[in-house]
Amino acid sequence: MSATAAPLPAFRIERSTRTSWIGLAVAAVAIVVLISLPWWGGEDDLRLIVEICYTIALAQLWNLLAGYAGLVSVGQQAFVGIGGYALFGLTIIAGVPPIPAVALAGAVAAILAVPTALIVFRLRGAYFAIGTWVVAEVFSEVTGLLPDLGAGTGMSLPVAVSRAVGETRFERETVLYYMGLVLGIGTVAAVFAWLRSRQGLALTAIRDSETAAGSIGVNNDRTKYAVYLLAALVTGMLGAVIYLEKLRISPDAAFDVIDWTADVIFIVVIGGIGSIEGPFIGALVFFGLRYFLADYGAWYMILLGAVAVVIMLLARRGLWGLLADRYDIHFFPVRRRVRLE
Amino acid sequence: MAPLLSVEHVSKNFGALKVIDDLSLSLEAGEALGILGPNGAGKTTLFNLIAGDLAVGAGTISLADRDITGLPAYARCRLGIGRTYQIPHPFGNMTVFENVLAGAAFGATRREAESYERCVELMRLTNLLSKANQAAGKLTLLERKRLELARALATDPKILLLDEIAGGLTDTECQLLIETVRAVHASGVSIVWIEHIVHALIAVVGRLFVINFGQKLAEGDPRAVMDSPQVQEVYMGIEAE
Ligand SMILES: Nc1ncnc2c1ncn2[C@@H]1O[C@H](COP(=O)(O)OP(=O)(O)OP(=O)(O)O)[C@@H](O)[C@H]1O
Ligand SMILES: [Mg+2]
Repeated sequence: MSATAAPLPAFRIERSTRTSWIGLAVAAVAIVVLISLPWWGGEDDLRLIVEICYTIALAQLWNLLAGYAGLVSVGQQAFVGIGGYALFGLTIIAGVPPIPAVALAGAVAAILAVPTALIVFRLRGAYFAIGTWVVAEVFSEVTGLLPDLGAGTGMSLPVAVSRAVGETRFERETVLYYMGLVLGIGTVAAVFAWLRSRQGLALTAIRDSETAAGSIGVNNDRTKYAVYLLAALVTGMLGAVIYLEKLRISPDAAFDVIDWTADVIFIVVIGGIGSIEGPFIGALVFFGLRYFLADYGAWYMILLGAVAVVIMLLARRGLWGLLADRYDIHFFPVRRRVRLE
Repeated sequence: MAPLLSVEHVSKNFGALKVIDDLSLSLEAGEALGILGPNGAGKTTLFNLIAGDLAVGAGTISLADRDITGLPAYARCRLGIGRTYQIPHPFGNMTVFENVLAGAAFGATRREAESYERCVELMRLTNLLSKANQAAGKLTLLERKRLELARALATDPKILLLDEIAGGLTDTECQLLIETVRAVHASGVSIVWIEHIVHALIAVVGRLFVINFGQKLAEGDPRAVMDSPQVQEVYMGIEAE
């Protein structure tokens, strides 16, 4: 431990790495390709991309919750459902045009997340997980009691509302495609910006040790609360876009734990929890498996489960964790490095 | 004026086990206090109560004139209580630099860019500069202990709680550590240091406080305390050098 009097060595702080520049270039090309897709892709391509977009967005949000804030929620379907139903309510009952209704649906989800957080934040660990699931079930049951929103059997979106999205079928598909794209890219960008910021430093510290984070002045509870509300807000908007595309909603589908949470957990766990790159890798594996194995029905689900278990046992930080440990690569530059000159 | 830190009639039980028993202790601004006691005496628990990682069962803890008994750990840190953990708690997947930076960014009231220099200085002080970009989880135990010190110092503490940072060091390393702690003390930080290595403790602190079964056994001038019959009895064979 050297004397303090000597002058400090010259240094600078680096945020980007070589791989992060490659990552940026790949992202830029991908965005350009995706923006141009309606001119050369078919309707099925558009729908698949939108699905991938909102799946990755849901995965990024769940990763922020579980991978960083330690909030292992199995109840994110609550906010997909609330977003979807808020869209139906706002457009049909309140007459709000669909696009602003998507943003408002996010706000509704975030507002309902406040009392939800008051309940579930009292619980820890496994009890928190169960609590989030129970709350989602309660929202599902309550929705089933609303006659104006189709009660238990659900309802379809009136033609007038989907006309408001676009006059022709092509126009509608294109608008929905861009909404999905903007939400998907926007979510990744927001998560990236957060993790790169000072608040991201707090969140990463919480990920690694809650006790130590508290001891150095990080307000763990407030940070977690902020993550929970952001996840609810964006999940609500995603739910709204998903059901604006599906055109039909019911409590069982909108609050489905498998579709909106279990698949997402699978993706994050396989890809690598606690990193931005992980959910991308997981989504790649998930959609790949589905593409090749969709015809095998139950076997597909069993294989999905088996892959998840094997990866959890062999690579606790998922496929991305294996790669990052070995090669020290980061496509999303959230870190800070000291370079002595 | 009130002491910088006062612990008054504090008790803590874990179930039926009474770990801290009506203990009182105070620390004046600028003081360095050593805490000694057999394994399981309750020393680390006392730190957890002062730093807010555990809630007291009874009693009060004050910082200067302010009652901080009900404050969470992060708030106590921001008020100036910094600590190291006996079992290091590094942010394992963050780099050494990011660990120290997190301390500076949240415990101290600086802007991020302004704390870079301080972080580099602290990494140099704790001899971790060459590991700055390494994941903290890959450090050796001794390096982790130094990281605990650097990270706690980054929060700009008024009081630094050190929990057994000298264990396992060679004589030379121990001497360097003593100089580092002295330098920190000389810079105006008050220190409470738990350590089994008595000669290291005595080289730095002006007063010793001995805990046994969660109660005060002895307190005062280090040599007088070490020579006292009740401490001799607990520490048979261990002598102040
Ligand atoms: N969270 C806890 N729950 C239950 N018992 C605990 C807990 N923390 C500490 N103890 C018990 O309290 C007693 C005091 O522990 P503490 O860690 O404070 O001792 P210590 O003086 O720091 O010992 P050492 O010198 O070994 O570090 C021990 O018997 C320990 O087993
Ligand atoms: Mg201890």
